Amino acid sequence: MATPKSLTLSSTTFAKLSPHPYLLANLQPTDSSTTPTRTNGRQPSQTRLPYINTSSLSHAHGSAVVRNGDTTVICGVRGETILTSAIPNYRAPSDDPSSSLDEARDYDLLVPNIELATGCAPNFLPGVPPTTLAQTLSTRVYSLLHSSKLVDVSRLRIYPEEVGEKNIGGDDDKKMDEAEEIDEYAAVAEEKAVKAYWVLYIDVLFISFDGNPFDTAWTAILAALRDTKLPLAYWDADREMVLCKRSQKAAAPLSLRGLPVACTGAVFTEREKQKKGSGRYWVLVDPDRLEEGLCDETVTVVVDKLSGSTKVLGISKHGGTVVGPELMKEMVITAESRWDQVRAAIE
Amino acid sequence: MTTTTSGPEALLSHLHSADGSATFSYAGYTIIGAVNGPIEAQRRDELPEEAVVDVVVRPAAGVGGTRERHLEGLLQSTLRQIILVTHFPRSLIQITLQVTIAPENEYVSTKVVQANTTAVLTLMSAAIPLTATLTSVVIAATAEDGSTREIINPTAREIQMSRSLHVFAFTSHGDLILTQSEGEFTMKEWEDILASAQRHCCPSTSGDVSMGDDEASGANLGKFTRIRNDKKAHFEPPNLGVSNSSAVLAALASMGLNRGSPMHLEEG
Repeated sequence: MATPKSLTLSSTTFAKLSPHPYLLANLQPTDSSTTPTRTNGRQPSQTRLPYINTSSLSHAHGSAVVRNGDTTVICGVRGETILTSAIPNYRAPSDDPSSSLDEARDYDLLVPNIELATGCAPNFLPGVPPTTLAQTLSTRVYSLLHSSKLVDVSRLRIYPEEVGEKNIGGDDDKKMDEAEEIDEYAAVAEEKAVKAYWVLYIDVLFISFDGNPFDTAWTAILAALRDTKLPLAYWDADREMVLCKRSQKAAAPLSLRGLPVACTGAVFTEREKQKKGSGRYWVLVDPDRLEEGLCDETVTVVVDKLSGSTKVLGISKHGGTVVGPELMKEMVITAESRWDQVRAAIE
Repeated sequence: MTTTTSGPEALLSHLHSADGSATFSYAGYTIIGAVNGPIEAQRRDELPEEAVVDVVVRPAAGVGGTRERHLEGLLQSTLRQIILVTHFPRSLIQITLQVTIAPENEYVSTKVVQANTTAVLTLMSAAIPLTATLTSVVIAATAEDGSTREIINPTAREIQMSRSLHVFAFTSHGDLILTQSEGEFTMKEWEDILASAQRHCCPSTSGDVSMGDDEASGANLGKFTRIRNDKKAHFEPPNLGVSNSSAVLAALASMGLNRGSPMHLEEG
């Protein structure tokens, strides 16, 4: 590389002194023989490969460690029970689809929390109250958990013991029929009433932070929830409390709807203050910390391809006017390939 | 339906101590906004080349939580794009939004719309230079016999029954500046909804007249910008199409002269 003799700076010094021109110079090389790349060596729409390791925490019901480049996140899921009698304004769930009851949201059965103050990056001091970013991430994760209806709430309900036994037991067919009949009739009756719920505490800790916190945290939550096995719990009418079966065999995994995967891109513009159409721009997918600091506009797309066709579960964009419908379509295509990557890592 | 039948109402420059203020009521929300700026920024916060935009959202009850932080983040990044921040280096523009009335079942995404509107009104009342104004809209999509129906400015009940919920904000130049969509939808549906949001928010891009007819009554924000004889014409600046933006700006400018006197614009 030909550098003028008068002023020679190493590339790391250049990056620290003026990060914006540095990234621009990498994306727009003066020499046509060099391929334009980002400072981290990736192409604009190239993501980092995720690595996922599950069940690494022994005391959580489910856990996952996700590494995406230099962003590493650990997520633990712990179930705790709450009695319906302890829920204010409790209404029994019904099968009526027009019912406005959303158990997970109304009774707060999913409690995500994201912790950034672990010394994971120089700009987050350890041991301070949650920063704006941590709170924003928690809110986004919370709303995606609910809007995607990822966790099947019916698995979080805890019933009295008898009902469970009736379903499992029944030696001859006649008895089975009888039991089923009773079940049908008892569906509305008090006998089958939900006595308690599992509340899932989903804690995400950032071990190291190098950009793209939302995608990585979401992948970790997804992997941890897939790994979660809750012990078989039942309501003991005599002792009036929830008890769990001791055996590990009785533990059942959660049932999750689909496999939503988030994909974030940051829009890097040629000039630092740029209006639409007045200069070049790049959508940097899976941005690192340096890139995030230089981009105003970010766009996040959540897609799920598990059923074959692509379902979009969330689109969020703010901070600029570059991304319109056309770019959004490209972003969804990028997210689809990201989905394949994450799926391969998760399974 | 009570939330959509009453039109938007705005009260401008009614707080005497703030540089600019506005109260905006629509769709069950009433939000008071105040702007102070450009004022001196704290030394550790100040930016050498531009003004710091600080947004504080206070909920109707209790203290702000994680949702308010998220909302603040969205508003901050959006408003920073429309305020000419480079005109005020090393200073601070502080926007405080106090929700005073919120509907019972509130969804964060719908609040973005009212908060955006209030913030823009407030900034205009403070005569802070802007590159553009914002218009935003909430659209819920429900599935009915295989086809999708779009509901503009849905009620809480309609949101609950919907398959997906979308918030769009456009600048007065017609650019999409903010979008939050959740639920389940396809890209085709999203584009259709975006197109109808654009029709709703930026009436100047299509025929004004045709647009007035195919929208639901009451819910049509576009109508409020046009002065009508048979109805109370409430002031609705965020809905500036290019065609009428100058008129509203002029109205605002004249209002700036009698700043401090509470003013409720009715009957143009």
